[in-house]
Amino acid sequence: MSYSDKVIDHYNNPRNVGSMDKSSADVGTGLVGAPECGDVMKLQIKVNRDTNIIEEAKFKTFGCGSAIASSSLATEWVKGKTVDEALAIKNMDIVKELSLPPVKIHCSVLAEDAIRAAIGDWKKKQESAKPVAATVAQ
Amino acid sequence: MVCVVLNVWRGRPRPRNLTTTQPPVPTDSARVCRVVVNEGKNLNTSTTMTTAKPAFDETQSCWSCGAPRPIHFCEACGKVQPPASVDYFTFFRLPRKLNLDVPALEKDFYDLSRKLHPDLNARAGGKDTGGKEQEKENEQEWSLQQSSQLNDAYRTLKDPIKRTQYLLQLEGVELEEQSKTATEQARSTGQLKKQIVPPDLLEEVFELNMQLEELRMHKKMGEDDPALIDEIGRQKLELEEKQEALLQELKTRWKMWDGMIQREHNGQPVSEEERRQERDKMVDILNRRNYIRNLVRDVSEVLEN
Repeated sequence: MSYSDKVIDHYNNPRNVGSMDKSSADVGTGLVGAPECGDVMKLQIKVNRDTNIIEEAKFKTFGCGSAIASSSLATEWVKGKTVDEALAIKNMDIVKELSLPPVKIHCSVLAEDAIRAAIGDWKKKQESAKPVAATVAQ
Repeated sequence: MVCVVLNVWRGRPRPRNLTTTQPPVPTDSARVCRVVVNEGKNLNTSTTMTTAKPAFDETQSCWSCGAPRPIHFCEACGKVQPPASVDYFTFFRLPRKLNLDVPALEKDFYDLSRKLHPDLNARAGGKDTGGKEQEKENEQEWSLQQSSQLNDAYRTLKDPIKRTQYLLQLEGVELEEQSKTATEQARSTGQLKKQIVPPDLLEEVFELNMQLEELRMHKKMGEDDPALIDEIGRQKLELEEKQEALLQELKTRWKMWDGMIQREHNGQPVSEEERRQERDKMVDILNRRNYIRNLVRDVSEVLEN
């Protein structure tokens, strides 16, 4: 099996590698893993509170080339999208873009999971922040 | 395939040329022997091979002498039988239980290995002609197939993890598909995905991977970092302990499973819900264990290089 050119490109030049402060209220962190291969993927998003637009995305993945490429692509895609638009990204979109073979589909699943988990974390922060904000206002 | 069964030897002394090229024949001289003349290239075994996982059909009889047919070879005339498509538990005549007497399994394995050895059943090229020659070829082919089935079955069942995974597979659990299924479920319900790997374990795995990456970098630069190596070594030990603890946890689930199968065997109803719960608990343990196993393997690689 050989990797597609796009996978190799993302693997050699991964976009948006790094991390952001996970305690920040604007940052959502998704940490996911696949028992099939032992991969672990961390994806973080920074969301503009007023527009709900994802302004920044970072990732760090330990895993195979396809997992790295999938998460690298995911950060590229979510940037500039609203939270709801980002939630619409499906793993099969990633499979198509990277021409992943069937045995590597779980890598794309992982990337979709990471997006959902990061958004979920961010949403949770917003909800728990509300009552605090209300108390401050009183 | 044309298969003609002749009952010509019934009640008569068995002709010499029939027995000379056969495996040892039991001394039960009263047993009648039917001769199957196979005029096709091969006895067609595809009907049994393509069926999913049927229980072994005990009513089948030996192709050669017609005695009630066991799975591997005929007790009466010693002839190897066409491989039956049975699961590994059935192959060893075991119930689908997880607590298994491994020494007894090993004994069975060696016993069957000897009896099914292709060399023992490979005596083609004699003076026999026609159907006899074909029979020899068939027997040799079958003993090869049976031996490989035997090896696969033994390798799978003797290992506690492989055995559990195999049983779950027989129960319809697709270990490879669970992550995808959970994602699809999360997508359709809008809920957060049920993570297969627990979050605290993920954190640990992530941190350890960061340290491994650091160590790889140091090594690449030719730098020594004994403190980091010690730290990673310590974590590796912890992970191995976790792996062992998970195996013990799995073994306690075995007891529950086996008890359930026994109750079912005794005619008491077992609900699908109970079965599913027992399966899920084992799947959960296996997932965590596999995850840790992969990590331990990565750590060993980095430490050894």
